[in-house]
Amino acid sequence: MHILDVTTKGLSRKIVLLLAALSLAACGVNNVVIQGSFPTPNINKLPLSVAVYYDTALTEFSYIEYSETGSEEYNIASGQSHVELFNAVLPAMFDTVIVVESMEEAEARGVDAIFAPAIEEFQLALPSKTKLDVYEIWIKYNMRLLTAEGDYIADWVLTSYGKTPTESLRSVEAAINEAAVVALRDLASSFSLSFTQVPEVRDWLNTL
Amino acid sequence: MKQLLIRNTLAIRNTLGIALFILVSLASCTTTTIDEFRQGETGIESNESVVILGRRQASDYETRSEFVSCVGERMNRGDGAMRIIPEQEFVDAMFPWFEPRTAPLRTRDLERLMTEDVVADKMTEFGVRYIVWLDGFTETTDRSGSISCTIGPGGAGCFGFGSWEDDSNFDARVWDVGSLTNVGTISTDATGQSYLPALIIPIPLIARVEANACSRLATQLKEFVNGS
Repeated sequence: MHILDVTTKGLSRKIVLLLAALSLAACGVNNVVIQGSFPTPNINKLPLSVAVYYDTALTEFSYIEYSETGSEEYNIASGQSHVELFNAVLPAMFDTVIVVESMEEAEARGVDAIFAPAIEEFQLALPSKTKLDVYEIWIKYNMRLLTAEGDYIADWVLTSYGKTPTESLRSVEAAINEAAVVALRDLASSFSLSFTQVPEVRDWLNTL
Repeated sequence: MKQLLIRNTLAIRNTLGIALFILVSLASCTTTTIDEFRQGETGIESNESVVILGRRQASDYETRSEFVSCVGERMNRGDGAMRIIPEQEFVDAMFPWFEPRTAPLRTRDLERLMTEDVVADKMTEFGVRYIVWLDGFTETTDRSGSISCTIGPGGAGCFGFGSWEDDSNFDARVWDVGSLTNVGTISTDATGQSYLPALIIPIPLIARVEANACSRLATQLKEFVNGS
């Protein structure tokens, strides 16, 4: 009987601890670090040497999705995945690509152009809010192309979109990651295929 | 009195048995309709392959990659089996030409795409003879019933009844990469009712609607591509 009491007490304590842990987990923000692999584009290279500058706003970019009550629900860190994506795409687009730590360093390297991407807007649509059976992500970018001296060549806006359907045995975090990877692939495809069609870039290429 | 009680118990058992049998029979019943529309001659050599791709352009749904793999796996085995290139392998190798935003929607777009040397070279490398575009989804409708579960110191149990209907609709468009034409379309429509009775433990009687759609579509596609 005594043994039974101890077991019951132990079980009750475990249930209380589990409930407390669940309550705390429900209150905290869910962190999602976007991870994915990005293939190299099969496109013709441009005979250019380009320096790429990722500022900290890009490398440390994260988006916070708030719940309907105003509390932080998801913290989506996608800065590093953007860097990985550009590092896979740019060498397939240009003959030489150098990653630089500052704009001054880029100017000193004697490249044809400096490329500096920036994220302007990030949006997440969850099925619980949209009532659709898909997770969606929109990202708006500002792509900047400068001369080696830092003068303006082109500055254009690019949007990317990714969605993934809801699935019974998949977590929300995994679905967000998948939608973000689709959006990043969309960015890579539209950026690599439309680069030479940007009017200012086309004009600049014609002057070389 | 005792005999009457035994007879009643047996009658209840029989009724439950018959009800369960009817439920199982109904659950296994999936209706599948296949429609084939041929627009050109087909046939495949042993050194040629087929790639099956899912359409992902619709705003409110997308063709699940699991369904695409299922059709591919079934076409890759059995009588008249053919070489199938896995979707992700093909899309990655062709990047960025077969992404949702850049993939060709018509054969005219494919013709334009094939003028790109990098695309034409990769197609030759894979030996692609046909591209099959799958477009569709499975929808669950007519959900009814309810199940309640209770847990207590004496044990746990569920009681109730639930049912729903699944409807799978998929279209497969077959493009001939050799002639750059659409050679045909195969449509499949599968429906089935699933039941979930719960008497202490829930007994799922699931209609395998999408699996049946996959199996029938793969068989029909295999015959279509082989030209039989």
